[in-house]
Amino acid sequence: MKSINLKENQFIQFHQKISFKFDGVKYFGYKGDTIASALLRNNINLVGRSFKYHRPRGIYTCGIEEPNALVQIISEYSEPNTRATIKKIYEGMEIESQNRWPSLENDFGSINNLFSPIFTAGFYYKTFMGPHKKFWKNLYEPLIRRAAGLGKPPKDFKGISNHIHHNVDVTIIGGGLNGLLAAKSFINSNYDVLLIEFEEQLGGIINNSNKISLIDNKEPKDWLKETIQEIEESKNVKILKNTLVTTYNYINHLIAIEDRFVGYKPIEGKVNSTLHKIRTGHTILCNGHIERFLSFQNNDLPGIMLSSSFEKYMCRYGLAPSKEPVIFSNNSNSNSLVYSLIKAGLKPKAYIDSRSGKEIEPNLFDLIRRNDVPLYTNSQIKGAFGNKKIEKILVEDSSGALNEVKCDCLCLSGGINPDVHLFTQSKGLLDWDERDLTYKPSKPFQPTITLGSASGQFNFDNLNSDVNEKLKTFKVKNLDVKLELNTNTKYNIEKLWEVSPQKKSLWAKSFIDLQNDVTTKDIRQAITEGFDRIEHLKRYTTNSMGTDQGKISSINALGIVSDLLDKKVNEVGTTIYRPPYAPLSFSAIAGRNCYEFYDPERKSPIHNWHLKNGAIFENVGQWKRPWYFQINKDESMHDAIQRESINVRENAGILDGSTLGKIEIKGEDALEFMNLIYTNSFTKMKQGSARYALMLGEDGMVKDDGIICKISDQHFIATTTTGGAATVLGCMEEYAQTEWPNLKVFMNSITEQYATFNISGPKTREIMKKAFPNIKFSNEEFPFMTFQFHEFNGIPIRILRASFTGELGYEIYIPSNSAPKIWDNIQSVGKEFGLAPYGTEAMHLLRAEKGYIIVGQDTDGSITPIDLGLSWMIGKSKKDFLGKRSLTRSDTIREDRKQLVGIIPSNKADKLEEGQHIILDKEIKSPVPMLGHITSCYYSSTLGHDFALAIIKNGHSMIGTKAYASTSSMSTTGVDIVKPVFYDEDNKRLVS
Amino acid sequence: MLIINCPYCGPRDQSEFSNGGEAHVKRPDGSKEIGDREWGEYVFIRANPKGLFYERWVHTHGCRKWFNCVRDTSTDEILVTYKLDEKKPNLNNFKSVVKTPSGEPEVGSGNFTVEK
Repeated sequence: MKSINLKENQFIQFHQKISFKFDGVKYFGYKGDTIASALLRNNINLVGRSFKYHRPRGIYTCGIEEPNALVQIISEYSEPNTRATIKKIYEGMEIESQNRWPSLENDFGSINNLFSPIFTAGFYYKTFMGPHKKFWKNLYEPLIRRAAGLGKPPKDFKGISNHIHHNVDVTIIGGGLNGLLAAKSFINSNYDVLLIEFEEQLGGIINNSNKISLIDNKEPKDWLKETIQEIEESKNVKILKNTLVTTYNYINHLIAIEDRFVGYKPIEGKVNSTLHKIRTGHTILCNGHIERFLSFQNNDLPGIMLSSSFEKYMCRYGLAPSKEPVIFSNNSNSNSLVYSLIKAGLKPKAYIDSRSGKEIEPNLFDLIRRNDVPLYTNSQIKGAFGNKKIEKILVEDSSGALNEVKCDCLCLSGGINPDVHLFTQSKGLLDWDERDLTYKPSKPFQPTITLGSASGQFNFDNLNSDVNEKLKTFKVKNLDVKLELNTNTKYNIEKLWEVSPQKKSLWAKSFIDLQNDVTTKDIRQAITEGFDRIEHLKRYTTNSMGTDQGKISSINALGIVSDLLDKKVNEVGTTIYRPPYAPLSFSAIAGRNCYEFYDPERKSPIHNWHLKNGAIFENVGQWKRPWYFQINKDESMHDAIQRESINVRENAGILDGSTLGKIEIKGEDALEFMNLIYTNSFTKMKQGSARYALMLGEDGMVKDDGIICKISDQHFIATTTTGGAATVLGCMEEYAQTEWPNLKVFMNSITEQYATFNISGPKTREIMKKAFPNIKFSNEEFPFMTFQFHEFNGIPIRILRASFTGELGYEIYIPSNSAPKIWDNIQSVGKEFGLAPYGTEAMHLLRAEKGYIIVGQDTDGSITPIDLGLSWMIGKSKKDFLGKRSLTRSDTIREDRKQLVGIIPSNKADKLEEGQHIILDKEIKSPVPMLGHITSCYYSSTLGHDFALAIIKNGHSMIGTKAYASTSSMSTTGVDIVKPVFYDEDNKRLVS
Repeated sequence: MLIINCPYCGPRDQSEFSNGGEAHVKRPDGSKEIGDREWGEYVFIRANPKGLFYERWVHTHGCRKWFNCVRDTSTDEILVTYKLDEKKPNLNNFKSVVKTPSGEPEVGSGNFTVEK
């Protein structure tokens, strides 16, 4: 195929040369060229190998509908499957062809083409079944994956995308003739209007073809310039260019992707695409139409392209891909290509029309006659032939004789379809038009308006009245635009979906989906095998399931199927076009919600100290909490935890508990509210005292726990678990607003406002005395579960005597800003008493020795306070609290519920594992009745052996008996079921 | 994604809100005797209709106020929002607005593109 450059135009500058590389070879294009137009300029048309059969493929179209010319952009993080027909070139661009090895010209995989008769629909399902399931996973799938497919996924993708939200009254999609007219009517109206155009220039058909000769007696080019200026100067119409609407959701919500680097290499670290999320009152679809192709033998050869695409290359890129293309059509849409060719001083090699001479437009007839173009009416192309490019075609003329025509380019037109993808995404309904042989939008489901060829108006006759009528509801100014055309106006088409080949076996070379290598033979076979429903047929053959969603071919498939089934196309129906309209990269969807912005990290005020002191962190919700502290690099986690826990039992330890949720509750009715929220009764509680409390869901299951400090009947401070803080506050607010709006109560999170230090161990009292010399810490003056407010060096602090380790303990609450100072002070005074920090893991071990539960670890949303043995915490005399009634439901009073128990190995040297089952038999013989499982399990240096907490069926009555725990090596360990407390059962250390 | 008209703050993006399930479900009065069935229905049973639905929402990342709305579950359209202490609107008022996705059977997937 020899291409020639035509005249320069406003889109392409012949003096601005750009160099780029394709498969390692350097070529030149011009500024404004796409990869496809630049390759065609260099007479390259073989650009890739097909998905399944590795057939040579060329450039088929000039736009987003391209099924074949997909390339990998090496210079942009190796972005695969880029449409060569829309991606603009820039200096130094590196492009590679896809799915070929070792090279595009000599592709090893093309051997598949020889076996194509056996690679038909369902081939993989039927063939690669035996002899063993493993064969698929280990042999077949890796082999097939290597051989099939398109581009390679990029390894190190760094694209950055921003998200922008719009909220407008009207969105016009498509900046072609109708889009511009619609936008023009809205100029300076009271509507906020967004005009979205996929290409770099507005104008659509005005730029892409020679169909229109004059608009309002002006050159189309000049009219366009004036109109765009008018729109740009208006206050209420915003134009987004290089932006593709990919998705049309419910409630007029649109998603569009804007390419920020059209014609330039994306700069690393800069935003290279913007995802627009648009909410709009009305959507006006002016997204035009798509030309479809025709099926015949070898209709996929490089050198074959759509006729409107050929014309677009001429008008937009000043490039004729061939000097003398053959044109094959069944409709009037290709008229303007003949006109454009002759206007450019070129001549079609032949014009082949399936319509009879009578139906062909008279002025086309004249044009062809006057220029001596060989004309075949009532004729069809039987097949195309050539080695990696089209060399000749076989034409069956009206007499049935076969004529060979030599050519280097064939332009096809099988008719045009309104681009209904977005309309059907919006859930609008389509209707088959028997005259124009296409699906057209009929009933919109949302406030959607379609204009121009997107609505199925393929003629320009009713241009003004159509726009005026459909925009009537907006009461905007009426249009009166005068159009003059170069070619005949009435759209005319004759039914032709495919041309039968000379031999039946050659259906296998007649393609219906170029991207997925589906042939018309596959369609016939699917129907024979019973997959005659269109959605089944689509999935069985993979027709129109490529990234192009069969834009140029899916209607043809429906036509073929309806003929084969002898049904009307409307009865066959159509498959559903799903978003996105064109591939959308994950990085665009992710936007900035990735890497460090994926999820916020929350850090305690003491975080920097932890960093300096060897803390290894664990994530608790969004919080970073010290898991354990390494005193040197060689210390293992096990050693660190045992060291920390022994130190708490023998000396004293300090834990940063700042992440604990803290909620302040105030108001006249605070006491009543707290009584309703928690299981405990707070009425008789003294001011200045604290209580361990449980919160249930309405189903009676434990939801959260914490310590409630009662400052007065009108003022409480509650702590929550680290992960449950937001839920607990949300729950309190919900009930305060929805169920008990009569209660005067307010609540607020004070988690970040206060840091919390938990100091515990036998030497804690000495440390506290030294750290806070003005406070009296004796057991009488500061008893267990009481709290006091103090001032220390001008800092207001609250000290609570409570413990989660079973040792004497205090919790200090300090305003976050002053916390590091006090933390440092405690560290320095505590040194002489052996005070050391401990992390969450040692804290878990210490609390488990004492039998204290962790909500979410030892409970799982199906455990009541009674199951935990915490009935004493239920204020039974209270009339009501969250979940109270559920505690007496038949299910919750069952005796054989899973209940919390302690587990120790019968042989103390044995190990236990978290999550393992408790069973009654030593032998594991399925089915094994499972009693429950181990929820927490640790080795305790204090006890000298492993121990665990477990929830098991009927557990409370099993205490004192023996059972078995399963192990990960499929054996069992004998265990004793004991009370869930392993240390200081009578709380002597806690309260003295 | 929806625009939700918070009765306190005005129209805001859906991402600021959380859904709270069926509205106008009354919590049985705890001070009185409650039967197993009555309580069980309050805790576990919620309606899940296709079509108009009274629903609770909360402006989580905003004013943190709870409010009610009428949502068409077949289209996700929120037809009206109102404060908790306001009377619930009569669903018959919305009949003309409500439609299932066009051509779709009353119950079903809605996977049709062409009118049957």
